[in-house]
Amino acid sequence: MFELINTLLIGITAGSIYSLMAISIVLVWRSTRVVNFAAGGLALASSFVGAAILEKTGSFWIALPLAMVAGAIFSAFIEYFFLRPLLKRSGDQGAEIFLPIIATLGLLGIIKTILNYIYGDRIGALPPPLPDKGFVVSGESIALSPMRLLILGIVLLLMISLTLIFQRTNLGLSLRASSFAPEISRLAGIRVDFIRTVGWAISGAAGATAGILQTTNGSGSVSPESFEFSLLLVFGFVAAVIGGIESLVGAVLGGLTLGIILAIILMYVGGSLVFIAAFLILILVLLLRPQGIIGAKGGRRA
Amino acid sequence: MGVVHKRHVTNKHRFIGFVLIGLLVYILSNTVDEWKSFQGATIAVYVVAIASIILLTGYSGQISLGHGALLAIGAYTAALTQIYLHLPVWICFVAAVLVTSLFGALLGSAAARLSGPYLAGTTLALAVGLPSIANQFSFLGGEQGISFDAGWPPLSFGEAFTQYKWFFWITSLAALIMMWWIQNLLRSRYGRTWRAVKTNEVAAELAGIHLARSKVLAFTVSAGIAGMAGALLAATINNVSPSAFPLALSFSLATGAVLSGVNTLGGVMIGAVALVAIPEIASLVADRWSGSESVASLLPDFIVSALLILTVFLAPKGPIEKFWSRHVK
Repeated sequence: MFELINTLLIGITAGSIYSLMAISIVLVWRSTRVVNFAAGGLALASSFVGAAILEKTGSFWIALPLAMVAGAIFSAFIEYFFLRPLLKRSGDQGAEIFLPIIATLGLLGIIKTILNYIYGDRIGALPPPLPDKGFVVSGESIALSPMRLLILGIVLLLMISLTLIFQRTNLGLSLRASSFAPEISRLAGIRVDFIRTVGWAISGAAGATAGILQTTNGSGSVSPESFEFSLLLVFGFVAAVIGGIESLVGAVLGGLTLGIILAIILMYVGGSLVFIAAFLILILVLLLRPQGIIGAKGGRRA
Repeated sequence: MGVVHKRHVTNKHRFIGFVLIGLLVYILSNTVDEWKSFQGATIAVYVVAIASIILLTGYSGQISLGHGALLAIGAYTAALTQIYLHLPVWICFVAAVLVTSLFGALLGSAAARLSGPYLAGTTLALAVGLPSIANQFSFLGGEQGISFDAGWPPLSFGEAFTQYKWFFWITSLAALIMMWWIQNLLRSRYGRTWRAVKTNEVAAELAGIHLARSKVLAFTVSAGIAGMAGALLAATINNVSPSAFPLALSFSLATGAVLSGVNTLGGVMIGAVALVAIPEIASLVADRWSGSESVASLLPDFIVSALLILTVFLAPKGPIEKFWSRHVK
């Protein structure tokens, strides 16, 4: 019983981090219809910024928000100087999403080589700011530690603030409107291009948080060729697709589903089947609902 | 230019072209050393693999980020056929094509219902997941993998005939045959059907095309070709292991397809040569102008990524169509 609860706790923690990454991918998809593989590189770059600030100041509580700001700036920068001219050039080719995907893959490669060049073999340390030792319940140590609680808290806080932004503010309304109907929004006086950049910036901040939490929850250090980040990118994307790639709630559900099922498989079946399990979960969900858990068939959702 | 001078290229011209390429390969194989032969064989493998992506994405309009996994299936099938059934090598290749096509048909029936990001996500998860299965089952050989032996060159070719030259011959011959078949297929009823579905699904359906069937067929054929590429890859490196099919392989095949021009089969050589030549050129450049080892190891990735972005910006339809649109107007 303890084992099952522990597995679930581990799965929920990992899943909530995947959810953040999924949110990062969903936000970009909603605002510009681009599957953003560069999100993984941005998360990596922001985590390095976080590690550098942590080294300078010694405080995780300064490093995390500043890394989020850095992630937002990186992401907005890429949207403004890279994706916007690209999409302007290629025009609106409807279903043609292959080229933007490839372009963001190229970006991912460039970000990685730049980080590799700057850091080489050095790694950025991002140790857990709180003790990672589980609480003791009736004599047994469970997988819920102050650190895990902090991760869940941060993710929850971000999700609540994102929901508030999207549902209760003018900015959120503009974001939803310009992804739902760019032309009409433009006529209604919304600066759609600017709003798109804002969407990318929020996505970058979410990705940065996911990167830092993934590192602190995992090995505690970040390197340019980090396997943890490949995992984060792939599972984040899979979670976004499971959730229907349009919806923030879907991204969270997708991330948690993925995290919990993978933790169970890791615990009870075997480590080498985790990746193929992610594929099987994805294909099962999509066979039952080709538009994902929350996705709408046809048309965009606001 | 007012008048368009349309050159009429018939299948006879194309056949002569293929024979000329074959001759060129033959002459090259007699002049280059072993390492160059190995690279030549690798180019031939990439040609087949990239052609399978171009068929799927450029002609049928479906996205795959997971062709590396299909190559893995082909490679493992070929190796297992050889180890457990002791059949001749060419039957191993046929088995690789058949089994991978079958898998492609299964995957394609799921994929036909998906579009855009959903399909990209599914194939990506496949590329990450499939090779790691080998670690779970002992008959797949785990991390060390299993061996696949395409055989020694016949003794009648003489003592000087090297192993890699032999591989170069086998892969090039296979690539030429595959490419001949693919270009015929793309010009046939099926190729036209695929392009119709890609261009406008509604119009294609109104014209009596069964959408799902056409998409599944494209996926099946593409998978079969990818399986062949996988078996050829296994033959050139003598071994099949999960590390030969990382996510990076899937990504570089997609890269090669974009560099070749994803909508035209004709550019397939460009991408294949680029994938092999860029690391070579990069290491030359790094040796000459920079002593730093980190630059030498990072330059290939950087050049490939930068080329990718440049291609997407400057020639989104591929270098060949870019060239034609400038010169034939």
